[in-house]
Amino acid sequence: MTKKYVGQNISKVDAKAKVTGKADYPQDLKFDNYLNVKIKRAPYPHAILKSIDLKQAKKVDGVVDIITGQDYPDLNKFGLIIKDQPVLIGIGEKMRFLGDALAIVIAESEEAAFKARDKISLEIEKLKVISDPFNAIKKDAPAIHDDIELCTDYISQDIGKQNILVDHYLKKGDINKGFKEADLIVENTYQTQHIDQLPLQNEAGYAVYDQYTEILKIWAASQWLHDTQADVAQALNLNKDKVRIIQTAIGGAFGKKEDISVHLHLALAAMHTKRPVKLVYTREESMISQSKRHPLTIKAKTGVTEDGYLTAWQVEVFGDTGAYASSGPAVVHKGMYHCTGPYNVANVKGVSYAIYTNNTYGGAMRGFGTTQMAFAYESQIDIIADKLGMDPAQFRYQNAYDTNSTTPNGQRLSKSVNTKRTIEEAVKLSNWKGESEK
Amino acid sequence: MEIKLTVNNEKRKVNVKPHTRLIDLLREDLGLTGTKEGCGKGECGACTVLMDNKVVTSCLVLAVQADGSEILTIEGLETKDKLHPIQQAFIDTGAVQCGYCIPGMIISSKKLIDQNLNPSDDQIKRALSGNICRCTGYVKIVDAVKQAAHEIKSGVK
Repeated sequence: MTKKYVGQNISKVDAKAKVTGKADYPQDLKFDNYLNVKIKRAPYPHAILKSIDLKQAKKVDGVVDIITGQDYPDLNKFGLIIKDQPVLIGIGEKMRFLGDALAIVIAESEEAAFKARDKISLEIEKLKVISDPFNAIKKDAPAIHDDIELCTDYISQDIGKQNILVDHYLKKGDINKGFKEADLIVENTYQTQHIDQLPLQNEAGYAVYDQYTEILKIWAASQWLHDTQADVAQALNLNKDKVRIIQTAIGGAFGKKEDISVHLHLALAAMHTKRPVKLVYTREESMISQSKRHPLTIKAKTGVTEDGYLTAWQVEVFGDTGAYASSGPAVVHKGMYHCTGPYNVANVKGVSYAIYTNNTYGGAMRGFGTTQMAFAYESQIDIIADKLGMDPAQFRYQNAYDTNSTTPNGQRLSKSVNTKRTIEEAVKLSNWKGESEK
Repeated sequence: MEIKLTVNNEKRKVNVKPHTRLIDLLREDLGLTGTKEGCGKGECGACTVLMDNKVVTSCLVLAVQADGSEILTIEGLETKDKLHPIQQAFIDTGAVQCGYCIPGMIISSKKLIDQNLNPSDDQIKRALSGNICRCTGYVKIVDAVKQAAHEIKSGVK
């Protein structure tokens, strides 16, 4: 049988459009008579908005209108898993990070929109900024969200739970038995940092509202087309069948375009002006207002026998989920499930916390929490191998997953378990001859 | 102010503001949206074009600085529905992923191949060092440049 696709080189269907410059990313579209939109964002990461003065901004030549929360008081919050992010911060409401939107500026030119944005004057009441998750879980830390139901029932009495969005627990085997069987116990704390996914194409889009059919169309690069459609509809109190999200070419995303970005503000601007509207983020704006890879603090305690077999692995994972939930509850949870990496450990115990802070929110990025964990478990493995005086390749190999291994959350790996073969290949390709000869 | 320049072999007259950037002139005034903006700071190379046969990041060039110059953008490579060999090589080697960096990559590659039909890996990497691909497809991009150079060389003979 000839194989039509498998084993053949198949050209990407859109490659020709992309090498000729004809592929349309959202910022490449052009609608007749369109208006430019810019967003006034929070000047301080944690503050109450006392007042907005638009007088000077509205005087800028070319400004069509400026929308604030006062114009649309009935908007609902949005978010991928938990609806905790406001579309616009209203008077008397709280901004929780520098990306929060305070006003939508609509103008005939991009230049006028920028100029007007910078002429909006604000009165704010600054609150204590919490940029470290360990300060957020102090008992006397102020609650960043006081109107969200937190899912934390089992927190230890020693820490404040007012900023813990969600906690997760993991148990496999008997951790105490595992540590008893160990000849060596190694404890370390690992810290990772914020990383931006940095797709080359910044968030951008167009929206068009047809007032006769009441259909709202949004052209943007999105990773969750139908989730975005549903979330836009619920946030704006529209029926889902009136919202169309139209996918353009996507200039990279890597998780960053799972969250809503330009969509809601474009929708409001289009419905408000009845004209096509365009919003393109600058790189700075993309970095400040859209998701990041979560910084995780990972406390790992590992037990091992003197002949180099892992017996126990305990972790505490603290995820800085920033100002809003985004994918945070799932990322931090999934990260913990990967605490032992591809190594067999019979006794595992873990707890993880997704913690609100006033930082830019953490969300999805390639690996969804597992890359941070890899830094911790692979470092832990190297440190233990060194303490045991064992070759780190051999130490990995003898603990590596095989068919019928079980993961920390109890999943039996029934097929395609290639950890050992991967180690063999890596040893071969790198010409690894052991620690002493490196 | 009015400036005159040649873009992809066509003479153009454009009215620009003193602060209009070359990228805005190309994308907004001439509708040549194949040139992309990634950072606006000359770091990513998505906006790379040739100006008087020199590689420039068009976000860092003012339109008035391009007065009287000759500009080549991605749209200027194709001839009569036939792709330039570099464009074809990028398709054939699977070097295109999200595609946003590709116009800049191809322009930088063209400058290299115009000068050197037998570039080494290191020379290719150096020539493309100003162009970032965030899908991290550099291996295939280097393959594409090598293939294109080879094909152009064979064609010349």
